[in-house]
Amino acid sequence: MARHPLRDTIAVVGVGSTPYGRDLQRSHLSLGLEAAVNAIRDAGIDKQEVDGICGSGMTPLAQGGAGFLSLQGSLGIERCTWGVNSWLGSAFVHAGAAVAAGLCDTALVVQTYMREPNMSRSAAADPFRRVLEQFSDVASDMGGGDFAKRWVHSGEPYAAWMKRYMHDYGTNKDAFAYMAVNNRSHGSRNPAAVMQQPITLEDYHASRMIWEPMQIYDMDVPVDCAEAHVITTAERARDLPNKPVYIHAMSLGGTRVGEFYENTLGWTENSHWVAAKGLWDRSELRLDDVDLFYPYDGYTIDAVGCVEAVGWCKPGEAGEFLKSNWDPVDNILRLNGRTQVTTHGGGLALGRAGGANFYSEAVRQLRGGEGSRQVADAKSALINIGSFFHDPSAVMLRAD
Amino acid sequence: MRNYGPIDDVTVFELYPGIQLNRDNIEHYRALAEQQLVINRCQDCGYWIYPHRPMCPECWSLNVKPEQVSGFGTVFMFTLLYQLRDPKSHIMEPLAVAAVELVEQKGLRYLSRIVNCAPEDIAHDMPVRLTWIEIGNLEWPAFEPVPEGQR
Repeated sequence: MARHPLRDTIAVVGVGSTPYGRDLQRSHLSLGLEAAVNAIRDAGIDKQEVDGICGSGMTPLAQGGAGFLSLQGSLGIERCTWGVNSWLGSAFVHAGAAVAAGLCDTALVVQTYMREPNMSRSAAADPFRRVLEQFSDVASDMGGGDFAKRWVHSGEPYAAWMKRYMHDYGTNKDAFAYMAVNNRSHGSRNPAAVMQQPITLEDYHASRMIWEPMQIYDMDVPVDCAEAHVITTAERARDLPNKPVYIHAMSLGGTRVGEFYENTLGWTENSHWVAAKGLWDRSELRLDDVDLFYPYDGYTIDAVGCVEAVGWCKPGEAGEFLKSNWDPVDNILRLNGRTQVTTHGGGLALGRAGGANFYSEAVRQLRGGEGSRQVADAKSALINIGSFFHDPSAVMLRAD
Repeated sequence: MRNYGPIDDVTVFELYPGIQLNRDNIEHYRALAEQQLVINRCQDCGYWIYPHRPMCPECWSLNVKPEQVSGFGTVFMFTLLYQLRDPKSHIMEPLAVAAVELVEQKGLRYLSRIVNCAPEDIAHDMPVRLTWIEIGNLEWPAFEPVPEGQR
């Protein structure tokens, strides 16, 4: 076991989301503020109680985004003793760590996402989106004309990994197909989801090829949206209106392979495996205790990698494992006969939020008020968000 | 080989206006302009360093210099692009992009296009060799299959 002083000492007390849509005609900041206001109101605290903010994006002074400085000013929060921007799995972990370390008492996390001009023809035709991309601090396709730098922050290596994975383990696309159908089935029961129609395995295999072998149904759906979370001490959480959802354990994960993704390490050495080990070295709850599982689905291979990284099955066996844990009545996964996966539809159905909506859904389910979507007696959730190469998280949430 | 004349720093900046040239990578692009593929190498322990970084991660030596590689390697992983990130682009046939593991060192990989090979014939671990293709009036590295008799 690793040193682990934060165990159950911090809790998520507020969750806020915006509507999800293909073209909401709003700015990052507008979306982020709506989610932030919803989360602070949900927490039942005064806004001046927020004294730390994790915003979206990479650099503090970037304009056009929902960075922590823009958020603090817009929300009218007078004093923060901690602030940073982050994304993917890391944002939530950074905020929790800041509260646990005492750099702030109540941290607000805001994550905004927008459909980018390189994601569709209609998005590329939108001058607001083009200008946003022009001035953003991290763009896609950063090679600037050098093909050799094409995989600096690129999705294409995930397609190449799908192919290499199937080659190395002598398997087919079952694992990806079952994950895609699962998420779309859950999406069809989530009124907020952009994709309301469930799909079949046949639909999956027939879907348009983008980067062989990756198909359109392997990829999350670009949308405009924002998610926000309020994290504070467990002590303070017990005085607030919502049932506290405790952060039991969490980990990030880094490897020596950074931004040049072609240098990828082996399948079982990527950053999700590092984050998973970091979590299991700290968590008292084990995989058998997990009631809800939220593996990031930027691409289906992310989720499949998380399934194997946390140990639901051995490397290369996710296809067989997911197939044998398939509920053909509800068309969803029930791992080991019970643990549901990505109950909100994830990025494949609700929409692309860099995994931020996985945290939101986990907290809502653990509170227990999700009506017809509520998973009965859910007390723990395992969340794995992030890239094979950077910003992965492994987080165990629990409720009494 | 094209004759760019003396390839001083100013010329390299003029040739590659879209590249974020810096002190650590400019020799790589100066060499590309002469149709040479060079990779930084530690002059103390011999370790090849890619991407272009100024210190050896193995021995922490700053005595790092670009050296030409043999141009031989194998396909570590690849994908066929049916759609580019630029939504306005139209691809008539899939574009093959591969992480080529260079023979010089395990895990030393260079991202490149695979050419002179039908997409369906590209395979993992297939031996490939360096060639050059013209894109935007410049010669760029690409890799092609090593003919059967020369493997």
